[in-house]
Amino acid sequence: MTRAAPPRDRIGTACGIAAAAVVSAFAVFAVCLLIRARAVAGLEFLLSTPSGLAARAGIGPALAGTCWLLLLTAVLALPVGIGAAIYLEEYAPRTRLTALIESAVANLAGVPSVIYGIVGLAVFVRALGMGPTILAGGCTLAVLALPVVIANSRTAIRRVPNEMRLAAYALGATRWQVVRDQVLPAAAPGIVMGCRTAFTRTVGEAAPLLVLGTASFMTFAPGTPAHPLTSLPTQIFAWASHSQEEFTALAAGAATALLLLLLTINLASAWVVRRLGGGTR
Amino acid sequence: MNAQGVPVAGTASRALRERLAANLFLACTVVALATLATVVAVLVRESGLFLADVSPWRFLTETAWAPAAAEPRLGVLPLLVGTAQITAGAAVFALPAGLMTAVYIHQYAGPRAARFLRVVTALMAGVPTVVYGLFALHFVTPALQAVWPGIEAFNALSACMVVGLMILPTVVVLSREALDTVPVSLLEAGLALGVPKGRVVARVLLPAASGGILAAVLIATARAVGETMIVSLAAGYEARLTWSPLEGLQTLTAFMTQLGLGDAPSGTLEFRAFFAVGMVLFVATYAIHMAGRALVSRRVGTVAR
Repeated sequence: MTRAAPPRDRIGTACGIAAAAVVSAFAVFAVCLLIRARAVAGLEFLLSTPSGLAARAGIGPALAGTCWLLLLTAVLALPVGIGAAIYLEEYAPRTRLTALIESAVANLAGVPSVIYGIVGLAVFVRALGMGPTILAGGCTLAVLALPVVIANSRTAIRRVPNEMRLAAYALGATRWQVVRDQVLPAAAPGIVMGCRTAFTRTVGEAAPLLVLGTASFMTFAPGTPAHPLTSLPTQIFAWASHSQEEFTALAAGAATALLLLLLTINLASAWVVRRLGGGTR
Repeated sequence: MNAQGVPVAGTASRALRERLAANLFLACTVVALATLATVVAVLVRESGLFLADVSPWRFLTETAWAPAAAEPRLGVLPLLVGTAQITAGAAVFALPAGLMTAVYIHQYAGPRAARFLRVVTALMAGVPTVVYGLFALHFVTPALQAVWPGIEAFNALSACMVVGLMILPTVVVLSREALDTVPVSLLEAGLALGVPKGRVVARVLLPAASGGILAAVLIATARAVGETMIVSLAAGYEARLTWSPLEGLQTLTAFMTQLGLGDAPSGTLEFRAFFAVGMVLFVATYAIHMAGRALVSRRVGTVAR
C-alpha cells in the first residue's frame, strides 16, 4: 500500500452538507409560515368569512368550499377510476392498445393542472352552462384526479401475486369472485394509498380553480354545489396577492389550515390502511 | 394471465352477476377514457382553430405576447423563454442538492437519519404549490431585496429558488429509487478492492443508476415546467423577453391562469390563445414525461438481473 491513511471521503461530506441544506431550507419555510400564521390563529379565523377588514376576516366559506370539492372529487373520480383500473388489469386482454392506454394515462397524470383548468372552463363552466360554481370545480378536479387514481390503482392491483388468482381459479372461482374475494382485499391498502396521493394533490390545487373563476370574498358558507366557487388554495392566492402585511398573515393562517387538513387526510388514510392490514409489508 | 372460459356451471344468477360486474368495469373504463380523450380533443380543437387564424411561424417567432391588446401580439417566445428560465434556475437549485441528498440517504445516513430525511421529503412533497408561492412572494423576495436592493418586487430569482424547493422531493425520491436498483454486489466488489467509498459512489453507483437518475431529472423538470402558482405569485404577470433573473417575467402556465381573471368570450382569438399556449405546455410536459418513463422501464431491463 502506498497510502498510509485512506483519503477523506469528500463526496460523502458534500452529500451530508447537501442533505443538511435541504432540511434547513424546508425548516426555514415551515418556521416563516408558522410565525406569520400565529397572528391569526384561533377558532374565529376558522369560522368567520373573508372581509375587506383584515382583522375580521376568516376562512369559513373557503374551508366549506374545499370540503365540498373533496366530496365531489371523491364521488366522481373514485368509482370510475378504480373500476377502470380493475377492468384494465383484470379483464382487458394484454394488447398493444391496452399498453398504449396505460402509457397515455400515466403521462396524462403528469400534465400540468392548469391545462385541465382551461378545458374545464370551456366544457363545464361554458358549454355545459354550470357557471363558475363549486360543481364545475369539483368536476374539473375529478378529471384532474382521474389519471392519477387509475395509474396508482393499477399499480396496486398489479402487485397482487398472480398465484392468488390462479389458486382461486383452480378452486373453481369465477372471475368476479376472484376480483371480489382475492384481488380487491389484497390490493385495498395500495389502492387507498394511491387514491390518497391523488386527493392530497387535488385538495391543494389552486391553478385550475383560478382559471374557472373564483369568488374570494364570499360572505356566506356555500350550502350546495351550485354556489360560487371558493376554496382554501384560491383564498390563499387571493390574500397572497395583496401587498399589505395583514393579508400576508391571513394567507399564512389559511395555508396552515390547509396543511393541517392535508395532514389529517394523510393520517386518516394511514389508519385505514392499517385497518385493511397493509403497510406492514 | 387471467384464466379464460372459467368452467363453472353456476346458476343463472351467478352468470348474470358475472356479466354485470364485467360490464360495469367496462363502463367505468369507457367513461374514464372518454373523459380524458375529451380533454385532449378540446385542447387540440381550440388550438387548431387558433393556428388556422395565426400562422404557426408567427406564433413561434414573433417576439411579443399580448393577445388581449387591440392589435394582438401573438408570439409565444417570451412565455417560452420565461418557462425555460424558471426551469433552468430551479434545476440549478434542486438537481445537485437533490441527487446528493439521495446518495446520502442511500450510502451514508444511519437508519435514523435516513428515516428522518424520508419523513422530511414526504412532508415537502405534500405542500401545495400555492403555499410555496406565498413563501416566495412574501418571505424569499423581501429577503432577497434586503441583500440586493436592485431586485424587482416580482422577480425570476425568487420563483426559481422556490420552484427548486418544490421539485426537490421529486428529485430525492426518484433518484433514491434509481440508486436502490443498483445491485449491492457491485458496490461491495468495489469496496472489497480497497476503493475509497467516495470513488465507489462516483464511479460505480452513479453510472450504474444513471438511467434512473436521468429519468428523475426529466420528471422533476416536467414538474418545474408545469409549475403555476409559485410563478404566478412571485414572478409577476408581464410577458417580456428577458434573461435577467432580477426582473419579473411570465411563463406559459402563469399566462394561462389569467383566463380566470379576465373574461375572454368563447370563440374569440384571445380565448383560443390560451388553448394554443396550453397545447405547447401539454406537448412539452407529455414528451418529457414519456422520455422519463421510457428511461425507467429500460433501467429495469438493464440493471436488475
